[in-house]
Parts: sequence; C-alpha cells; structure tokens
Amino acid sequence: MKMNQEGEWEPKIVAFLCNWCSYAGADLAGTSRIQYPPNVRVIRVPCSGRVDPLLILKCLQRGADGVLVSGCHPGDCHYIAGNYLARRKFAMLKRLIEYLGVEEGRVQFSWVSAAEGEKFADVIKTVTRRVRELGPARKLVKVREMQGGAGASL
Amino acid sequence: MTLDNRDNMDNDVGAKSVGAVLVVGGGIGGMQAALDLANSGFKVYMVEAKPAIGGAMAQLDKTFPTNDCSMCIMSPKLVECGRHLNIEVIPNSEVTGLDGSPGDFTVTVKTRARYIDPHRCTGCGLCAEHCPVSAARDAFNAGLSSRPSVYIDYPQAVPLAYTIDRETCIGCGLCENICMAGAVRYDDAASTRELNVGAIILALGFEPYDPGQMAEYGYGRYPNVVTSVEFERILSASGPFEGRVLRPSDGDIPRKIAFIQCVGSRDRSCGNEYCSSVCCMYASKEAVIAKEHAPGVEPTIFYMDMRSYGKGFDSYIERAKSEYGVRYIRTRVADISEVPETNNLIVSYEDEVGRVVTEEFDLVVLSVGLEPPKSAAGLARALGIELDEYGFARTGTFDPVETSRPGVFVCGAMQGPKDIPETVTQASGAAGAAAALLASARGSLVREKTYPPEKDLRGKGPRIGVFVCHCGINIGGVVDVPAVVEYARTLPHVVYAERNLYTCSQDTQKRIQEKIQEHGLTRVVVASCTPRTHEPLFQETIREAGLNHYLFAMANIRDQCSWVHMHEPELATEKAKDLVRMAVARAALLEPLERLPIPVKHSALIIGGGLAGMTAALDVARQGFEVHLVEREGELGGHLNRIYFTLKGEDVQERLRDLIRRIDGEPLIHVYPGCVVTEIAGYVGNFKSKIAPVGGGIEAEVEHGVVIVATGAGEFKPDKYLYGEDPRVITQSELEELLATGKIQPGSRAASTGTGRTFVMIQCVGSREGERNYCSRICCSEAVKNALRLKAADPEANIYVLYRDIRTYGEREVYFQRARAAGVVFIRYPEDEPPVVEPVAGPEVEQGGKGKPVGELRVVVRDTLLGSKVAIPADMVVLAAAIVPNDSNRELAQMLKVPLDDNGFFLEAHMKLRPVDFATEGVFLAGLAHAPKSIDETVAQAHAAAARACTVLSLEEIRSDGIKSEVNKARCSGCGMCVDVCQYKAIELDFKERVAKINAALCKGCGACAATCRCGAITLKGFTDEEILAEVNAI
Amino acid sequence: MESETFEPKIVAFLCNWCSYAGADLAGTSRLYYPANVRAIRVMCSGRVDPAMMIRPFIDGADGVLVLGCHFGDCHYLTGNYQTDQRVRIVWEVLRQVGVDPGRLHLDWVSAAEGARFAEIVEEFCNRMRHMGPLQASLPSGPLPYDLPLALAIAAEIVEGERFRWLLGRLRELREQGSVYGERIDAARLEQLVRDVIAEEYVRAGVQVLAAREPLSVKDMASKLGLAARDVLKQVAYLKKRGVLDIYDVRQQSPRYQSTTRIGVDDLG
Repeated sequence: MKMNQEGEWEPKIVAFLCNWCSYAGADLAGTSRIQYPPNVRVIRVPCSGRVDPLLILKCLQRGADGVLVSGCHPGDCHYIAGNYLARRKFAMLKRLIEYLGVEEGRVQFSWVSAAEGEKFADVIKTVTRRVRELGPARKLVKVREMQGGAGASL
Repeated sequence: MTLDNRDNMDNDVGAKSVGAVLVVGGGIGGMQAALDLANSGFKVYMVEAKPAIGGAMAQLDKTFPTNDCSMCIMSPKLVECGRHLNIEVIPNSEVTGLDGSPGDFTVTVKTRARYIDPHRCTGCGLCAEHCPVSAARDAFNAGLSSRPSVYIDYPQAVPLAYTIDRETCIGCGLCENICMAGAVRYDDAASTRELNVGAIILALGFEPYDPGQMAEYGYGRYPNVVTSVEFERILSASGPFEGRVLRPSDGDIPRKIAFIQCVGSRDRSCGNEYCSSVCCMYASKEAVIAKEHAPGVEPTIFYMDMRSYGKGFDSYIERAKSEYGVRYIRTRVADISEVPETNNLIVSYEDEVGRVVTEEFDLVVLSVGLEPPKSAAGLARALGIELDEYGFARTGTFDPVETSRPGVFVCGAMQGPKDIPETVTQASGAAGAAAALLASARGSLVREKTYPPEKDLRGKGPRIGVFVCHCGINIGGVVDVPAVVEYARTLPHVVYAERNLYTCSQDTQKRIQEKIQEHGLTRVVVASCTPRTHEPLFQETIREAGLNHYLFAMANIRDQCSWVHMHEPELATEKAKDLVRMAVARAALLEPLERLPIPVKHSALIIGGGLAGMTAALDVARQGFEVHLVEREGELGGHLNRIYFTLKGEDVQERLRDLIRRIDGEPLIHVYPGCVVTEIAGYVGNFKSKIAPVGGGIEAEVEHGVVIVATGAGEFKPDKYLYGEDPRVITQSELEELLATGKIQPGSRAASTGTGRTFVMIQCVGSREGERNYCSRICCSEAVKNALRLKAADPEANIYVLYRDIRTYGEREVYFQRARAAGVVFIRYPEDEPPVVEPVAGPEVEQGGKGKPVGELRVVVRDTLLGSKVAIPADMVVLAAAIVPNDSNRELAQMLKVPLDDNGFFLEAHMKLRPVDFATEGVFLAGLAHAPKSIDETVAQAHAAAARACTVLSLEEIRSDGIKSEVNKARCSGCGMCVDVCQYKAIELDFKERVAKINAALCKGCGACAATCRCGAITLKGFTDEEILAEVNAI
Repeated sequence: MESETFEPKIVAFLCNWCSYAGADLAGTSRLYYPANVRAIRVMCSGRVDPAMMIRPFIDGADGVLVLGCHFGDCHYLTGNYQTDQRVRIVWEVLRQVGVDPGRLHLDWVSAAEGARFAEIVEEFCNRMRHMGPLQASLPSGPLPYDLPLALAIAAEIVEGERFRWLLGRLRELREQGSVYGERIDAARLEQLVRDVIAEEYVRAGVQVLAAREPLSVKDMASKLGLAARDVLKQVAYLKKRGVLDIYDVRQQSPRYQSTTRIGVDDLG
C-alpha cells in the first residue's frame, strides 16, 4: 500500500485513456498547467473500446484502488463507435462489480475530449476524492489470494 | 477571361515543368492543399505571413455543426505539415514577385527576421515568462489579453518556436540569458530568396470585419460589446478565460447575451454588400457552446435571414432552439447604448409588427463578416491576378479555383466567404488542378526517405535503453530527473539509462542512435513529453538506427506529470518513476511490427457522369491515370442537361458540350454509358468491380485503386400547389428550360402556357419540411436568377417570390439585392402557414384544342411583414422543388461499405476536414450525391475528390500502420462477435474454417474486437493484453 | 501618540566601508544626531535588496535610510550605482502603492564625513516627524485600501522574478544600449519600468487580496482602486498560472481565492 510522507495512505488509480480524445485532454491539462492530484497512472490505449472489462478487474486485483476509463464524447470516436462499445461494456461491468461487492465509485467512466484539459483535471480530482473516501481496495485482492492465480487466463 | 483558363492552361505549359508548388497561406486551406500535393509527389513551399501556420481555425473553439474541438481536429494536419519531408514551411514571409509562365515560375519570397532560431527553440516558454514587456496586444486572443514581446501564438503552433516582436521589444537581452537552448539571435535579419515552382496556390483566408467603424453598436466604447472572434476566444479553453464565459468589463458571468448578425455583411453602407456565409451558423454555435459552458446563459440571436443552408445546418438550428433554448429574433438592431453603472447594454430593435422594443443584455456579440485579407490587394498586384469588386479573387462558376492568371490557383475565403469544409474542398481542388498542370514533373523534386535494414533480433532478449528528458526546466524543475535515471537503471532489462536537457533535440537523436549501437539496445524508452506529438520523431530515430518503429515506448512525465504536479515535487518524482517502470515493462514485451505494403492499381472508377463525375474524370486523366466513368443514362451530363445559364450569366450548355468533347478526346477515360456498377470488391489500391448495362447484358470487370462516387441527386416532384394538375404551375428548372428555349416570352400571352406578366415563385417546396428537414441550398439563387432573367426580358413583369428565408449566401447576395432593385417583390411566409394556390372562377378559355377550361390562378399568402393575407392573381406559379437523394444510394452505399446520412445523402468521413473522403479509404465523394450544392461548389468538390484520389493513385504501394488485430485460429470459436463490432468491415467469418479472418488492409487498429473476443483469440498487435497487463502489473 | 511628541522609527542601512565608518566618526566626534535611528551594517549598500527597503515599513518603521559610499568610492567598485538604481525603482513601487516615496531616502556618506552623517540623519528624522507616523498615514491618492495591504503588495512586487530581472538589467540597458546595438531612449525605459510595476501591482494586489478571502473581480477592483476590466486581465492570467482558483460563484460573479499562502504572513 502506498503511503505518503506523513505515513497516510495514498490511493493508486489506473486510468485507461483513449489516444485521440482523453489522452490528448490529459496533455492539454498539462500544457495549460492545470494542477491535479498525482495519484493517477495513465495507460494509453488506441480507443476506449479496447478496454476489456477483464483489464479493469485485473487492475483491482493488482492493487489499484480505483480505475478510470475515459474515451471520446459520443459521436467523436476516432473509430466511429468504439466509445459506445466501451460504454456498453462498462455498464455491464458495473453491475458485475456491484455483485462482487466492490464499492460503487471505484471504477468510473468519463468522456473527455481533446479540448477538455480542465475537465480532465476535474475528473481526476473527483475520482481521486471518491476513491480516497472509499479507502484502500481490498475486495478483489482477497479473491486473488483465495484462488491463487485467478486471471491467469488473460 | 477565367472561363477559358482551362484551355489556356492545357496549351500554355511549356517544355519545362517544375515539380514544386508554392502555397501562400498556412491556414486550413493552405495546409490541405500542401498535404495533398506533397502526398502525391510534389515538393511544396508554404509561405505564411505569421510566425506559425494554423490560420483562423486555430483561434476557433468549436466548429459547427458537429461542435468538434477545432484545435483537436486540425492539429494532426498541423503536425503533418510541420514534419513532412516534402513541405517546407516558410513562416514570417510574404511573396513579393512572380516571373515566368505556368509550369515554370520564379517567385520572390521575403522573410522577416524572427530573432529566434526555430530549429533550436523548443517552445518551452521561459523567455516569455521573464520578458519585461507584457503589454503587447495579443492578436491571437483578439486583444482580450496581452502578451510579451517574445511570444508564440498558441501552444500547438508549427513551427513550435517563439518570435520576438521587434516593435515592442526593448532589447534587454533577458531572453538570451534565460534560453537554455541557445535559440535567441539578436542579429537575425530579413532575407529574400527565389523559389522555382510550377504552380501557385493562394490561400490567404480572410480578415474579420472591424466593427469600430459602425458607431451605432458602440464597439470599442462599451467594454461588453465584443466581436464574434473575441467571443470565440472567450469560449476557447486556450483563450484568455480558459473557456469560462466571462464578460470583459468586470469578469461577471453574463446571463443575457445578444448576438447581432450581419455586422459588416449585407450592408451597402460599409461596402460589403455580400453575405459572409458563415455568421448565422457560427453565432448559433457560439450560443450553444456558451450555454454548455455556462448553463445560466440566455442567448438571443438577432438576424435578418437564417442562412443555415449547408449539410446538417437546419437541424443544428432546430437543436439550438429546442434543446438549448436559443432565442431567434428576426430584425435589424438599430442601436446599442450602455447603462454606465452596470456596463449592461440596451439593445433597441423593431419587432415583427414594427414596434420599437428595447431590451437589456449583459453582453453583446457582434457577428462580424468576412473581408478579403488586407494583404490580398498587394499580392494580387505582385502576381498579376484580378480581384473582384470586393477584393476577393475573381473566378468563374466552372473554374472556381482558377485565378485570372494561368498556373495561379486560389482556394478558401480568399475566393469568397466560405466555411471550413468548402475551404478544404477548394484546397484539395486547387491542389488537384496544380497537380494536373504539373503531372509530367511528378516525383522530380521530392525526397524519399531510405532506411538501413532492420536488425535481426531473434534470440536476443530485450535490452532496453532509457532516455529521460529534463525539457529545460519543464520536467527537471519539478521532477528529480537524476533520481529517475538512477531508478531506471535498476529496472529489469534496462542496460542503459541517461538524461538529456532536451531529448527531442537534433543532437540527442544522434546520441540515441549511437547508444543503440554502443550498448546493443533492442528497445528504447523515452521519458519526456507526450507520444502524441513526439512518438513519430523517436520512432523515426530508432528506425534509422535499424530498430523497428514499434520497439519504442514513451513515458509522459511532462504533460501528465511535472506540469500538473508542480507543487508536489516528491510525489511527481514518484509518479515519474512509476511511469518509467510501466513503460519499461511494456517495452520488454514489444515486438517488431510490419507496415504491410499494399500495391496500388493506377486507375479510378468514377460512378456518375454528371458535372462532378466528368470533372473528376478529366482531372484524374490529366494527372496521368486511367478512368472508368460509369453513367446510368445513355448520355453524359446528368443534372447539367437541364441547366442553361448561371447566376453570373455563363452559358451552361456550351460548357457541357465542351466537357463532353474533352472527355471524348481523352484516351485515358473509358466511358460506360447506360451502365451501372453491380459489384465492388477489394480495398484501397486494389478494387475489382463489375459494370453492367442497365437492364442486364454483358458485364465488364475492371480493376482500380480508387472509387469516386458522383451519382448526383434528383429533383423533387411537387405534390401540391396544383403541380401536375394545372399547366401553369411549373418548377424552376422547367421555367429555366422554357426561358432558354424561347418557349416563354413574358408579356406576350403565349397560348401554350398562358403566360402573362405575373409570376409567383414559391420557395422551399419539399425542402425544410416534414422528413426532408434540410435546405436545398440552391433554390433561392435559382429563383433570383430566373426572376432577373424574366425582368430582363420584360421589365414590366410582376414577380413575387414567396420565401421563408432568403439564402443567397456569399456573393450571391448581390444578385438578390439586384433583383430587389429591379422590382422583384419578396414576401416572407410563415413556416406553419404555406401559401395556397387556387383557381378562381372566371371566363373559360379554350386551351389549344384540348378543350380544358381554365380559370385565373390565385396565390394566397400571409405576408409576415404586413401581418395579413394577400391574394396575388398569377399567370404562372413557379415552384422551387427540393433536391432529393437518389433511391439507389442505399444499394451503392452497402456495396462500398460507406454510410448515408439521415436524409439519404452520402456521409463523408468528417464534416469539416474530410469533406470528399469516406471513412473507408480509397473511396471519395463529389457533387449532389453528397448534398445539394451549386455548380461552382460541385466543380470544386470534383477537383477535390480527384486530387484526393490521386494521392492514392500516385503511390506505387501503400504502407499500412503496423497496429492491427490478429486472430489466433486455434482459439477462435467463430462466434462472430468481432464481426459485429468492427466498424470498418475488416473482419469476416470464414465459414469453411469457422474462424474470424482479419483483412489487415482494412483494419484500423482500434482493438474493439480484441476487447470483445470471448475466447481471447484476437490480439491487437502493439497493444496486446500482455503489453497492457505489463503496465498494470507495474503500477 | 500625539503628533508633537511623535518620534519616528527609522531604519538605516549603512555600508561597512564608508557610511558605517562615517557614523562611527560621528560618534567619536561626539556629534549629536537623533536617537531614532536603528543602524544595520551591510558590507555594501549594493547589498540592500529592494525587499529590505520595504520590509522595515511592514515591521513598523516610519522611514528607511540607505547610506553608501560616494560614486567612484565604492569598495566593490559599482555597488552604489546598483543601489541608486534600486532606490529609484523602489520609489516607483512606493508611489504605485500609495506610500510617500520620501520615506525612503538614499544618500552618500564617506568614512570622513561624520558631520554629514549626523546632518543627514537629523534632516531625515525631522522630515519623518513632519510626515507623522506611517501607520497613521493614509495612503496618498484616491485608493480606498489600507496600509498593510499596500505594503504587502509592495513587498510582493519587489519579490517578483520579472521585476528583479528587469532591475538587474537596467543599468546595462541604460549605459550599453539594447542587444540590437541601439541606444534606448531614457523615457521609454522609464515608461517600461512604470508599466512593469503597474502590472505587477495588479498581480500582487490580486494575490494578496485573494489570499485573505475569496473575492470577485469587482471587489478586488474597488479595493485596489482600479478598473474591473484591468483587474480581470490579471485575474485571468493568475488563474491560468494556477495561483488563483475559483472559490464559488456569487450572483453572477465568480469569486477567486489564492491557491498559495502568498502574502498572508506579511499581513500578520
């Protein structure tokens, strides 16, 4: 578990950002020097539609306290409809993780365009705050402990 | 004069043809033209007056009607222009002279001193931060903010280099002291050079009208009266207020915002009689975006006619009204005054019934018109081209991209006010025209990149080199870079790590290549800025050192770390280490990917032999490629067969005969009259199609590299206003035919038609109503054209035009004003109460022996100006029938795997920037099949489609991106889920083997299939599950 | 404190080689001078940073004296020229924030000029007596804001990086001309200094105010005695730099607060 200098727990959050919109939005937050909490680790994917729900579960298993998937706004997808696919998958996954007992808010979805640097920072702030409130993620770590190498099928 | 250019050009090209083109102006038009030319074998010089290219589009926040972020959609073109091996961007420069003839010009270009070496400047911005001068007007933000003497217009600028504004600079020398890249050159001086080019494309764009000249609106006096350009900057996230809607007087969020249309347009008093074409739409867009940014905003648009004539525009206005609550008031605002205490503004105007109303607003936006750029006049003199009376480049209806001087072409707003897609279309068109002129010199001046063979890495484990960038102090000022380097050395597979002041600098590229050799590196990781801008550079670097492009990973420790955690250096350093660890973990798994070469068949299939198809066919043939031109009808010409004259008075039939003659004389064009395409198989570069006579017969099979869809559209057959029941009710095109063939003589009561002196024209018949919620775009101009014809033949004729909005956009407006001056009466009728055409009982007249009794005709209309009903006895009623998409579009769309829009027209790849492309590569679009449009627009689009097609045809082979999906047959269950999610139809089920098969040429690498596959059989190469999981595991 | 009996507090910076020696000489010569002065020895008057000239006022001084060697006598060759430059620019800053620049005095005293030292001190002390206590003085000009704010802003301005860069460069610019090899018109240079100070004033003012409490642009403008549109420009600039953040929106006015603690300490 990650601790800061004061010995307090710091959440670790994985963000899957699509290359064309959200990743560019994150870059814009940078060029605009908009400050946000340093808890997020970004993984760039070509399209939010590339994000297999298993990848999200895997993140939680590997000790991420939260996962964010962010894609282009409806209609803006570089690959025509990948973000819709992502949304559908996500809606389904949400129900699944609810069933698993993972708190709502640990896994989040957002639309951030290449122009929305500020929105990106806001999303990160919100996600970090939510996850911080929820505390460290433990649910799926237990599953892993019980089953040994679950997820090895990936 | 312009009419004959094309013929002149054919003859004028001398023995020598230079394979280079000069593009003047680096806005979206210039960039498009440059890219099309450079991508089809020509060297391009791009001269730009400003320190960076990008033009007006860079200033926009969003674009209508898609509300796309302007910068996001444009920046790939910016970067491509900046990096292109065969485009030389010459900023800070102007053209001062021209010599020679088409095919072989000598151009003189003068470059102003920049005082910063653009090759050394990294764009870090330290100089600007410390510049003591800060009060210079920031023109990029339309003066809403100030800038220092050393400046850059916008963060994505190309070239990404600062400029010293010598006017305001005091020469203190601070910037030189602070610049770590050593880029400042105080001894820089202006220089002149001569360029040898075969053709010239002018793309100077426009300048917004300065409303300071209009006293009544108080611009310049009242702080809360801003121009639409200023408001665009206010809305922009990169603007002065970071996209927050604030008013300039006190930073309050305005509640009530008034938009005033036609400021500097449609106004004889300011000299701009023409309509600026774009303001109705951009004002609506700004109102919508303002509402999105600040939901409490109540926008009101004061307009004269709502000119939402383009594709998807009318439905945009509908959404603005219904979803965003934008209020539209049809009036001309008389006066604006200020409430001194609050800086609020009182807008006074006449309402629909003529009462003077005053209303208070928090902010007023003046929708300023487009004027020709101030530099156009001087340039026109230097180049010897003609401008029209308003200062736009003079062109002909059939030659919309040709100036009066052969070999000099024009595109964009310099040719007349127009929006972005029209500009991009003309730009491609101008590029096509230039390429056709210089076809014999194609490839003579371009450089092609050569690479050493790739190293064989088989059996060698990953040996990773890590390069961490300080980026001046941008990274190093926050992140402890030496610590990150030390940390990187401890990571698995890392055999070398170092840090650089600027990893992207030219000398570091060489260093990386040396280190690859020295340490036998097989993967390279760079921790610096964003892969979006710099990945191609580093990929190129390692490829030159013999490593595959894809053996590269990047950690974004600037844009997504040091810049956003400036106040938490320890945490930022921790994060940077994590990001490097993730990138290294990913890099260890990377594999070389192949950019598949796909050979290209050098011929085009053009479907449709109307104006668009014929124009495109001639262009493609003149560029030296074979054309198969398929026309459903027995003869060429399509819609053009029924048009006789243009608004400007040109003879259409003569032009048509000329076109057909030239098609017949072109050996590279094979015409298939009376035929249709029955099957299209294959993909870009390699299509195979079947052509068969209508109604069956022997099929021909042709192979081709591209397809151009130019199938045109039909005319709506009116189902009301007694059309088809009374012979005196006809359509505009029928009227035109009668006029042209002399069958109708106004004033003389011709027995056959019963024509007298009163003509009533009814607009929007079948357009903008019911399911056809679009505008047919050309009908208003047609009505004006025919009304002027009638008036010319009989000045006493009574002509009434019943309309909803007069949409004579651009310089067509001048003809509308002429028609009004000639006494044509324009009556606006309400949308919900269309006119009624009815027979009146009267003395029966014997009709040409048919014995059919006909009484007087009467048109009853509610005149919105008078507020009452008016009955007009009519000798003839003329209906402006809508343009409707062909029924056959659907079949063809399915054959080509391209989409149609809601109305049944073909849907282009991108409304703004890819107006003639389809999302499916190698398939292009022109003419009425795309949407209703005029002759000049059709010609421009046909040139553009041909030019875009030739960017493919001029290649020997196409190299696809290596990031593609791959199926593991052993795991695939053949369920077909992937087939459904693939938007590019790249996956097919092989029913024999019962597995999915991916066509690498069609796959775009989005990975939707990989994420959907239930059995883990699909891998997206470059973003495999393993590679992503390696990153996850490394967090 | 009655004005007749008011005894000003004066801080004097004395350079080690000339004025401090001069003060010593005044002492050994048993020359009278007022007891109001608290001397601070520095190695060179060039050591006296603009921030040091402002700080005593914040800490309760009524006047500040800076005494160095005569031109040409500086132990460190040109330190006193730098001082001269600095004092002039700090006068501009004081003028900008509404404090009488007369409260900062610069003079030259050599090691041999004990009498001159005593004279200067007495004269300055009298002047301060005449001006009255700084804390009780209203800032000159139409500004409605208070003295602690004015001084906090002044301190903020002279700490600013851009201000200090320019200051460090001024002498060279004046004497050697611009990097383009041109002479720079003195008036243009002065104007530039005034412009920079004026702009830094707005920026510093906004920062100091926003560190106290969330304020709208209009509030700040009235507190700083400026037009709201000029304040807006700098608020937007500082917001972009991440120095300010929006606190809330009251009525239609966004209120801004500082993201750092700049200026708060100075306000005590």
